[in-house]
Amino acid sequence: MGTAFPKKPVSKAAVVPVTYADRNISTQSFLPEIIKGLGVSMRHFFHNTREMMRGDRPDPVTERLDEGVTTISYPEQKRPYPERFRGLHRLTQREDASPRCVACLCCSTACPAQCIHIEAGEYAEGDSRRGYERYPVKFVIDELRCIFCGYCVEACPCDAIRMDTGAHAAPYDTRDQFIYEKDLLISFPGRDGSFATDNPRHEPGDPTHPGLSREQQH
Amino acid sequence: MPSFKLDGKTIPFEPGESIIGAARKAGVEIPHYCWHPGLSAPANCRMCLVEIKPAAGQRPIQLDVLSLDPKTGEYKYQPKPKLQPACQYPAVDGQEVLSDSSTHVGDARKAVQELLLLNHPVDCPICDQSGECKLQDYWLEHQKTQKRMRDEPIHKPKAVVFGPTIVYDAERCVMCTRCIRFMEEVAKDPVLDMRERGNLNEISVAPGRQLDGNYTLMTEHVCPVGALTATDFRFKARVWFLRSVKSVCQGCATGCNAWLDYDPRTSSVYRYRPRENAEVNKFWMCDPGMLSYKRAHEGRVAEPRIAGKTTTVQRALESAKKHFDGVPRESIAIVFHARYSNEDNWALKELAITLLGTRMFYRSGGAPGTGDDILIHADKNSNTAGLNQLAPSARPFADLLADIKKGAVTHAIALGGATPGDPEADLAELRGLKSLVTISAHDGPLTKAAAVVLPATSWAEAGGTYTNAKGLRQISEKAIEPIGSSQPAWKVLAELGRVLGVEPSWSKLKDIRARLLAVEMPSQPDVSAQAE
Repeated sequence: MGTAFPKKPVSKAAVVPVTYADRNISTQSFLPEIIKGLGVSMRHFFHNTREMMRGDRPDPVTERLDEGVTTISYPEQKRPYPERFRGLHRLTQREDASPRCVACLCCSTACPAQCIHIEAGEYAEGDSRRGYERYPVKFVIDELRCIFCGYCVEACPCDAIRMDTGAHAAPYDTRDQFIYEKDLLISFPGRDGSFATDNPRHEPGDPTHPGLSREQQH
Repeated sequence: MPSFKLDGKTIPFEPGESIIGAARKAGVEIPHYCWHPGLSAPANCRMCLVEIKPAAGQRPIQLDVLSLDPKTGEYKYQPKPKLQPACQYPAVDGQEVLSDSSTHVGDARKAVQELLLLNHPVDCPICDQSGECKLQDYWLEHQKTQKRMRDEPIHKPKAVVFGPTIVYDAERCVMCTRCIRFMEEVAKDPVLDMRERGNLNEISVAPGRQLDGNYTLMTEHVCPVGALTATDFRFKARVWFLRSVKSVCQGCATGCNAWLDYDPRTSSVYRYRPRENAEVNKFWMCDPGMLSYKRAHEGRVAEPRIAGKTTTVQRALESAKKHFDGVPRESIAIVFHARYSNEDNWALKELAITLLGTRMFYRSGGAPGTGDDILIHADKNSNTAGLNQLAPSARPFADLLADIKKGAVTHAIALGGATPGDPEADLAELRGLKSLVTISAHDGPLTKAAAVVLPATSWAEAGGTYTNAKGLRQISEKAIEPIGSSQPAWKVLAELGRVLGVEPSWSKLKDIRARLLAVEMPSQPDVSAQAE
């Protein structure tokens, strides 16, 4: 049997003979070694306990409690995030709970990760906003693809998309759970608990609204 | 040729030409709203103001005005020249004009821009002009400041329906009056006018009328802002997602040059925009032509068919071979189509003459309509003149129907679906054929009567040259990807030739174009013009 890469012959002095334990039932079952290892642990356990009971050394847990523990019980407890923390997106609402979004596609154009998909549609016949503006039939954000840069919020001219929910995406089981649809996005409140924003909007029918026809005076 | 200097650059001009017109021809843009190269110059937007240096020995026209000296913080009298609108001021030989290089001009543009945006609603997100709006472009180039007015802007009517094709938004309007002048000067139908004054003025339609006719969509295209929007394009797309190719309108024999706007992501066509060509359509297009972009998607043959049933290309070609088995090749009739490019018709002719040996040529095309003396041609086929040059011996479609009745024609290969006559009557006559193989992009009597239909690409999916009524050969470029399993007709014809047992002499569009130029039309210039 020839070797593909013939090695130089090993010099005798460098060889260190290794002795292996015999392969009998006590070594192969590992039991004696486990018991030996447990013995070391138990020795330290009883040793430490005895010292603590005697008061020779302080209890590390109570000592840390006195110092002020930095660990918290997430998710029951949560750390305060900074005021401008960019969390999950939300779609802000108008007074009638419909999205403020007018489907201008500025956010999806600005998005460097291309994670926003919008399908624009026209309001139904008879709606006061028909012929005036559009609305998003579909508004989908892939939160897994999102890099949370906040460009969509910057780009939005209608204050319709915000990242002020203060929440971050939970670790889900499957990828499609990260695909947030319009209904979900609009159901998130802001940090203050409201669904609206402070910026006013001129709705068709408002006194400040320019009106839809020549006859409808203002 | 006389010339003047604009910012130090020598610009030649024809006597009587305005400064802005001569500058545009030389490729220098002076910002403007109301001026349009194809319309009269009202000089009402004041955006194109330029500084004109006085001629030697003449006093400059100027006034001393108080202006703040930023160094001392005091107001001082400083001379300010009288600026002139470049759209109305005729160019004078040897004159020196300052545009971008003058601080006075820069200040004036900034002030004009601020005035125009004073009562503008800035509703860019719901505006369809957004992305191709002059207000946006010039704000970025010449203003770049925020609104200083704290008051509520003047509100005016929005979404006013002007007619079946146009919706008007008075708030966005800058009162350039381009639409009014277009309807009066080009469409010869002065249906639009301006009413009220100052910040209350708005465009209105003549009482009892609406904005209709064949040239309404052009008002939207001359509108530099989002005041006029087309019902057809409104809310359909954001323009920055669209790409444009140089296309040629297929609506009639005029062959208007156009930009075909399409979305490459969905491979769908959205609109035509007129493309400037002084020899054909100047700056204009008609409504039926501009709406004919829909033919890229409507009434299409996407998949091959055998006796009306959808099948694969391979099976359809084999079926075509079976239909022509045992038939003398020289007895197969060839039907050209005036709506298909020179390349497609050339390939059909080449297949017929050199490969099949038949010379039974007929011609088909769409039904004629009505024309006018502005742009619309009565012939509704885009390549009638090209077909005349290519196959002058082709007999009219009526002869084909007569020969079918007589039994002189039993087998045929046809290009295109539409026929010139009544569709139902033509279909009934065409059913007299024993076998008809049709290569077509659109459905029509010729595809309905066909035993085998092979899908071809429309003008939007493949490059082609079309010869208009004036004899100009014009190239239309490829926009979207082929629909279904369609291919350019010249490619389908090559495959058909191969199945029939003959090797075609062409394999690339380049080959066909070279041979078209060399053989058929040696001296015709190719006309393609730049956009505005």
